[in-house]
Amino acid sequence: MNHAPSWVLRVDGLTRRFGAGCPRCAASVGPAHERSQCPWCATVHACTAASFTLARGEVLGIVGESGSGKSTLLQMLNLTSPADAGALWYREPADPTAPPVDLLRLDRYAMRQFRNDRLGIVHQRPELGLEMRFSVGGNVAEKLLLARWRNVGAIRERAAGLMHQTELPVERIDDAPPTFSGGMLQRVQIARALASRPALLLLDEVTSGLDLSVQARVLDLIRRIQWEQQVTMVLVSHDLGVIKQLARRTIVMKHGHIVEAGLTDQILEDPQHPYTQLLVSSAL
Amino acid sequence: MHELHYTYGLIDEDSKREVRRALLKAVALPGHQVPFASRDLPIARGWGTGGLQITLALLAPEDILKVIDQGDDESVNAVNLRRLIAQTTGVALTAVTADATVIQTRHRIPEERLRADQILVLQVPMVDPLRWVEPNLERATVMHGEADYGRMWVYMYESVIRAGDLRIATQYPVIVADRYLMDTTPIPRWDVPKLHQADALFLFGAGREKRIYAVPPHTSVAPLEFEDVPFRVEYTPGQCCARCGCGDSFLTSHAVSGADGATRWVTTCSDTSFCAARQAVS
Repeated sequence: MNHAPSWVLRVDGLTRRFGAGCPRCAASVGPAHERSQCPWCATVHACTAASFTLARGEVLGIVGESGSGKSTLLQMLNLTSPADAGALWYREPADPTAPPVDLLRLDRYAMRQFRNDRLGIVHQRPELGLEMRFSVGGNVAEKLLLARWRNVGAIRERAAGLMHQTELPVERIDDAPPTFSGGMLQRVQIARALASRPALLLLDEVTSGLDLSVQARVLDLIRRIQWEQQVTMVLVSHDLGVIKQLARRTIVMKHGHIVEAGLTDQILEDPQHPYTQLLVSSAL
Repeated sequence: MHELHYTYGLIDEDSKREVRRALLKAVALPGHQVPFASRDLPIARGWGTGGLQITLALLAPEDILKVIDQGDDESVNAVNLRRLIAQTTGVALTAVTADATVIQTRHRIPEERLRADQILVLQVPMVDPLRWVEPNLERATVMHGEADYGRMWVYMYESVIRAGDLRIATQYPVIVADRYLMDTTPIPRWDVPKLHQADALFLFGAGREKRIYAVPPHTSVAPLEFEDVPFRVEYTPGQCCARCGCGDSFLTSHAVSGADGATRWVTTCSDTSFCAARQAVS
């Protein structure tokens, strides 16, 4: 019988702080103290000892109020923010027998290569994820060019296919992003993120700022992509409705700590931590 | 009238040593931009001070120097630089490419294949090709460090989509030794293939931007191109030099006045010494 674990990503004690820290930090910050900034040294403990695993094809939701550390955690997963402690073990889904790699131990060059090839991210603000001077097709093409595609015809064909897949008008492939609506720009970001067939897709507040009908279309699109391509996803949101629709498991963050983790239904139906109870009751 | 005395090579020995150290590092890391403390010179920045400092740091009394500007030995910039270097070093001068041990140039590489015992020093106005896509120097440095050239490739892709071809006339971006993206300076596309697996050493100096980089001999230099839109050099079928008849050199057009006073355009070799040698043979 094969007992090999099926995880793709294992996060062990991931920690990020902004400031030098002091001996009194540990006893002064966290959910119990209702703050993430040390009153003695002003160090912000944005994320403290976050640990979880992510199975292939799973969607993990991260919820919490503003400043709870969920975006910092996502940036560490995207390898764009360094971690002060912890490990980020990755195992290639296509080769479960390969030994896991701690992504935080890679040099910057290898990290960049990994980010290009295996990670995709959709930002809350499109201008963070898209180059507004280039065309929409060019933005989608960047991921392919980074993956060493060197045939303009093939790149264009793939970019058009991704635009079609994400319900974008293919005839506007050469238009600049500022001429697109907010919901369309989110779909351009999704098309771009999917271009290199990433092992892990990170979604940071993808529906914030969109009106309800556009929000529903974007969520439908993500759900369809997840179902069709079995992409492993981490979804950050402060909207429990979004989490409920997409995530199978959810972790709840407060003041840089994970205060509760479990199946999404379980967390929403029977929240254990007082903060989660407050969050759920506020949403309802 | 009193006689002027100069340090050999005009700039002080410590500065020349610093330039040579930067050159060694640049040769060790082909295509990588090495900072150096560009000194003030009696010519304005932007007029070849980077190349001049490299040349002055390299020249030994037994060297033979050639200076060209846009392929021309007798242009104002070339003449002035040559005069300054000769006055402060006393090295022998030549216009014949094959005779020179060090060639300082602006915007051209000589037509003849350079030998292993020759060094070509190029003057560089703009160091970083990433400036077209990333104006922030700090971010561009990180992009070089991580070989993050995706945006540069998108720039090339957009060029093809907008214009139907790779419409970059000069400063064509290349990847050196499969690692660093490098600006080739405003040499025409015609000269870019001469950098690839050459026998000679190519040194690039940017005085205004205080950077030095190099392409050592026998180094891979690959222009950015696509499988279906390849890099191409300039070529107009049937066009040849009006003086030497060469149809296989980089040509330039310039206006001349005829005996009747009318102005007409003629096409001649850009490399004047190459052209003169061909005329002498024929």
